[in-house]
Amino acid sequence: MKQLSRAPWFGPLCAVLAVYALFALLAPQTFTRSANVLTMARQTVIVSLAAIGMTLVMIQGGIDLSVGSTVALTTVIVARTLDGGSGAWTAAAAGVALGACVGALNGLLVTGLRLLPFIVTLGTMSALRGAAKGLANEQKVDADPKGLDSLMALPGGAHGGFLLPTGVWVALALAVVFAAFVAYTRPGRHVVAVGSSLETARLCGVPVGRITLIVYVIAGAMAGLAGVMEFATLTVGDPTDSIGLELEVIAAVVIGGGSLSGGRGSVAGALLGALLLTEIKTGSTHVGLPNWVQEILTGAIILVAMALDRWREQGRGSG
Amino acid sequence: MNRGVGRAIALVLALALWGCKRETPAPTAGSEGGREPLRIAVIPKGTTHEFWKSVHAGAVKASRELGVEIVWKGPLKEDDLKQQIDLVQSFTAQGVSGIVLAPLNDKALVSSVKAAAGAKIPVVIFDSDLASEDHVSFVATDNRAAGKLGCAHLAQKVKDKGGAVVLRYQEGSASTNHREEGCLEALKAEGVKILSDNQYGGATTETAHKASESLLLAQGATDGKVAGVFTPNESTTFGMLRAVEKANLAGKLGFVGFDASDKLVAGVEGGAIDGLVLQDPFNMGYLAVKTMVSHLKGEKVDRRIDTGSKLVTRANMNEPAIKQLLRPELDQWLK
Repeated sequence: MKQLSRAPWFGPLCAVLAVYALFALLAPQTFTRSANVLTMARQTVIVSLAAIGMTLVMIQGGIDLSVGSTVALTTVIVARTLDGGSGAWTAAAAGVALGACVGALNGLLVTGLRLLPFIVTLGTMSALRGAAKGLANEQKVDADPKGLDSLMALPGGAHGGFLLPTGVWVALALAVVFAAFVAYTRPGRHVVAVGSSLETARLCGVPVGRITLIVYVIAGAMAGLAGVMEFATLTVGDPTDSIGLELEVIAAVVIGGGSLSGGRGSVAGALLGALLLTEIKTGSTHVGLPNWVQEILTGAIILVAMALDRWREQGRGSG
Repeated sequence: MNRGVGRAIALVLALALWGCKRETPAPTAGSEGGREPLRIAVIPKGTTHEFWKSVHAGAVKASRELGVEIVWKGPLKEDDLKQQIDLVQSFTAQGVSGIVLAPLNDKALVSSVKAAAGAKIPVVIFDSDLASEDHVSFVATDNRAAGKLGCAHLAQKVKDKGGAVVLRYQEGSASTNHREEGCLEALKAEGVKILSDNQYGGATTETAHKASESLLLAQGATDGKVAGVFTPNESTTFGMLRAVEKANLAGKLGFVGFDASDKLVAGVEGGAIDGLVLQDPFNMGYLAVKTMVSHLKGEKVDRRIDTGSKLVTRANMNEPAIKQLLRPELDQWLK
């Protein structure tokens, strides 16, 4: 039990269960319906995918503020690719590839110019948003989704059979892959080493530059994939989409045990963090809370979760 | 430890929930005894603009009259498409009695509305149309009729004095396009010559102002060659108003615009604007909810319902009905 409670995802799991129980009490007829649980899982996919990438970046000691803009740009690229006559798979691949390129750009700027990641991605956040608007002629881009929308559709229709939408399975599979990457592979351990102490890692012979680049490319590709899922939900390319998404993603990672100063973070925790945010959003809708109350509530829950986590950390240190 | 987490979060939630109440009406005598009241989700495009506050007030009025419960919930960020889709899905999963929706995009909301209809939850669309056959009814301003209303007035002003110009709003905007077409029909019906109808004001007041200035110059308005102008929305009307004032044409030119803001109303008062066509958002919210309730009670409802528009002029701007449109008193509904 003690072992279990030390896992970084233990705190967020408690929070997820507590908030679930609370809304189940407040809206007993609707909140626990299986349709609602399915809908929540589906609505968590986009933040989850981006949060997996952000977890790696934050473990490495960086941050990526360009996630929201990357997602918006990707929805536009996917719409444009589909519109140009390509199939669903090509368009999805183009979206992920674009994300990876954006990540490479972020990584190269961070390692090459030796600028702070916060500054670099603040710049690319604005530049990519502008690129998305330009590419979309400042309006939403209509395109026939050609089946891409089934990624996020609830099963039961023609594409059903696996209980959850394909997008949810994709997010879960990638979470397992990247959790294993951090825990068991050599480059994964290097990411933690760089985030814990950059100088020590460098002295120990860790290829810091290469590790940093890899991390940003992964984060970019994950943001691109999130953008593909976003397009699957919207079925239009929207250059003004996902403004502020990066903050939600960072909140998910931090709730999940990530640290803004690097060296710490958990993929599983980040997923639970993302789920917690969706729970609050959906629960507020079920209970009928006005938007302003919901926003205050979200902020308060994040702060409480963080404060408790810090308290637990200290308790562990002294005990 | 984990009990601590739970307790603290529950406390925060309880505090937040305390003090906010749902818009549950007192059950009226007419509602079928014993059955749960209908619960209708109303999803606007945003929640902070004046327009949507009036819609909200109208929806509350309908809910009180008809003894149903409404849940008013818009995207957290004004005009956020993804959040609006999430809301429709969420209300569908919740199994509300019906969803009343003002879609932010005519295509992106189609599959969510289809899913709701598939789950036997009827959807009424209001304000902007949806490219779908799955909704019960579309409740909105008939923009073509509104354009006609405005330009019939303009035609009376300019009939024997000369031609008119129409400054359009933006390519691909369906609602304003209908207003422009309605206006042109009315002008042509009265035999008014159209000097220009192919210029666009663009998205902002700034671009509309520039377009207005060059349009007035190009048509020789200062030499008295233009008798009247029509503009189809707030930003083009304001841009044109400024251009007319700068060119010293205020009062000399017939001018009918659309929508209201303090400055536009002042323009009507001062005589620079001869008329403003106003939509009726309060009535829109009222009729949208009412239509949904009629449908849920098994009555037949029209596929298309017009919520009406009114022409505000200097002569009628102090009438109570117009005053209510210009400065709606929403407190009795929203408190």
